[in-house]
Amino acid sequence: MKRFSWTSMALILSLTLAGCGGTPTSTPEPSQPKKEAEQTAPAPTESGKKVLTIASGNDIVSFDIHNHNNTSTEAVHINMYNYLVRKDAHQQTQPDLATSWSKIDDTTWEFKLRDDVKFHNGDPFTAADVKYTLERVANDNTLLEYGNYKQIKEVKVIDDHTVHILTHGPQPVLLNRLSRLGSGMLPSKYIQEKGFDEYLKNPVGTGPYKFKEWKRDDRLILERNDDYFGEKGKWDEVVFRAIPEDSTRVSELLTGGVDVAVNIPPTDLDRIKDNNSTYVLQGPTQRVMQLTMRMTDGTPTANPKVREAIEMAIDKQAIVDNILAGGGTITRTRVTPGNFGADPSLFGTSIYDPERAKQLLKEAGYGNGLEITMSSPSGRYLKDKETAELIQAFLGEVGIKVNLELMEWSKFNEMYRSKKMKEMFMIAYANSMFDGSLAFDRAHSEIAKGETDYNNPEVDKLLEEAEVNMNVPEREKQYHQIQQMVANDRPFIYLFQMSANYGASNRVQFEPRLDEMLPVDNIILKQ
Amino acid sequence: MRKFLVRSLLQIIPVLFLITLIVFILVHVTGDPVTLMLSDTATDEDRAILIQALGLDQPIHVQYFKFLANLFQGDFGTSFRYQEPALPIVLERMPASFELAIASMIVATVIAIPLGILSATKRNSFLDIFITGSAVLGKAMPSFWLGIMLILFFAVQMGALPVSGKGGLANLILPALTLGTGVAAEMTRLIRSSMLEILQQDYIRTARSKGMMERLVVYRHAFRNSLIPVVTIMALQTSHLIGGALITETVFSWPGMGNLLIQAVNQRDMSIVQAAVFVISLLVILSNLLADICYRLIDPRMKYN
Repeated sequence: MKRFSWTSMALILSLTLAGCGGTPTSTPEPSQPKKEAEQTAPAPTESGKKVLTIASGNDIVSFDIHNHNNTSTEAVHINMYNYLVRKDAHQQTQPDLATSWSKIDDTTWEFKLRDDVKFHNGDPFTAADVKYTLERVANDNTLLEYGNYKQIKEVKVIDDHTVHILTHGPQPVLLNRLSRLGSGMLPSKYIQEKGFDEYLKNPVGTGPYKFKEWKRDDRLILERNDDYFGEKGKWDEVVFRAIPEDSTRVSELLTGGVDVAVNIPPTDLDRIKDNNSTYVLQGPTQRVMQLTMRMTDGTPTANPKVREAIEMAIDKQAIVDNILAGGGTITRTRVTPGNFGADPSLFGTSIYDPERAKQLLKEAGYGNGLEITMSSPSGRYLKDKETAELIQAFLGEVGIKVNLELMEWSKFNEMYRSKKMKEMFMIAYANSMFDGSLAFDRAHSEIAKGETDYNNPEVDKLLEEAEVNMNVPEREKQYHQIQQMVANDRPFIYLFQMSANYGASNRVQFEPRLDEMLPVDNIILKQ
Repeated sequence: MRKFLVRSLLQIIPVLFLITLIVFILVHVTGDPVTLMLSDTATDEDRAILIQALGLDQPIHVQYFKFLANLFQGDFGTSFRYQEPALPIVLERMPASFELAIASMIVATVIAIPLGILSATKRNSFLDIFITGSAVLGKAMPSFWLGIMLILFFAVQMGALPVSGKGGLANLILPALTLGTGVAAEMTRLIRSSMLEILQQDYIRTARSKGMMERLVVYRHAFRNSLIPVVTIMALQTSHLIGGALITETVFSWPGMGNLLIQAVNQRDMSIVQAAVFVISLLVILSNLLADICYRLIDPRMKYN
């Protein structure tokens, strides 16, 4: 009896000590809890520090800017790194680390660099850093961003503050490439001396905020870089918290635990609106939801009248209003405003006309009804399943029976990659290049083979010409023409541009951006 | 005892081997990591290059044997998501999971012991029915629902506790309550039934007939002996709490192994999934062994064979 009680007590105690003993070794400083509380509670008046806390659904993936393709990671990185040129809130190219640039010929660009820039570790920023950064991603095919930079042939250092970027062919979108994820300038000297692993632990950039601490899947803390070459940061400290559960993220916002919360599901928008100290914001994104149509001979959707009927049968605005709580804009093009080549006449409009759709089906020989299969991912995009089901209902109204195949993303993707989809599938594409070229790559007959089997030689010709056309106005006109042709031929039926939902505390003023970046100095503290 | 220990430790090896095989196969058949790593607009050429670079173009058995060979050197591969070795990332999360597990166990013990005793000593009373009913409810409540409800009540409505994240003691309370409730429910029922059985024993009747105070009979004689199965359950539950708090850690953004595993599964980060499942399995096996040893030490009737 005695033996048992002592043994059991010892066990309970040892388990408790094991747990308690494990924790302090992982905690860097004993004063951590107090520090955390200060960081989490955004109360500049109490602590004297201006702290901004932003919550998103995911943590950043890495500080290797070349080895991820994650928009939410770039949204954070943008505060730590500078590009040679950057996009402003209206997606116009502005100088950043480069003061000026010019085309020497179709494959050579000259960039003049600022001479007053220092990395966070004190190293000066020079042309050698540009060469290191861009050649790393352009030459290493194991990096996830390789595909977006392999067009760069070489970076020639002319002098400390001048570089020539040589491309494999004419690159009209080079400036777009240089102002996006993967183009943040890395500290070549620091990486060469300390190694890339050390850089990943203590990342260094040139941006207005520098790295302080990263607790994976919990929080990343940045602090103001007082040696920044541009306008100094407005916040003393910025905390990016990873809160994967939507409801928890919203609760943090409601209780003042965070100042801005991203990716708010439509079902939670009212909780934020109804709260006295928070508000909701919706901003457009680069993602456009579309239906991809099979035009292969023998399929009912090969008939242009059937495709037109399908577009006319879908009330896109109803989808946006009822399923996405207004979080989207209907469109007939994938090149939305803010992208090069956008045709405004196709944006914000719909040709919804169910009666005409019925008429067209009759003319196409399907007056007694038509049965097709539509595939859609479930759980990949916001309310994708509900959207697909509503489309099924709309098409049912005009006499098209839709067999809806809802699939988990990896299964869907496997079918998509192997081009095994039937008459129609729903997918959303983003456009990280902000250029029409990326929006229509799948419209070219070579790539469309087996998928849509769309083959319009005129579109092919225009796409090939625009891809390498260095004449900006002419190129823009070419993309307008392509968009009109695609809207008419309907290998793709565009549904809506998706919006991003944000929640913010009344103490900050925040304006969402089309590129979903979060430059924290654009988030202003209201006094 | 030594023979028992050696035999038990040797049994761990084939179990772990089997676990690696099952996890490897499951991870490989449930989805393609390259799909998730590349952007939607990546070309087939980009995809082929990456598949080759990651060695995913080789037959699955070749990949598995390579994985095993590396495993013997403690190398679980590189995380696709973090681009770092997987095992240190998993081990980095262990203290947070331990912290939550121990706190939950404390919560469970503090709730279960008095309720279990009360329920047994007041058998068939309204209180007993209420406690056993609550225990069933506590066990039946899904942890994500309970977690969200606790957040809404204590953090959003009352503003008394932080919503999520890891920080001070206050941050620990809600996740520990969420996770501890289910364990408490199970322990309460176990203590109750164990107490009831012991209260029927002859030595209890003897103690009572000697005129010993009821309180002493219950605490000194009955309760101590009823703890034998409870200690075993605690050891087993702790390992489950460390590795099994997937939902609770996600709801409260608690940076432990469970949260890491959920993210890794969502992202098809195979190396992390394999390392995390391996570490959690090892913890479960070892704590089962520990429970077994304790049980044998506590109860001399148990034979080592």
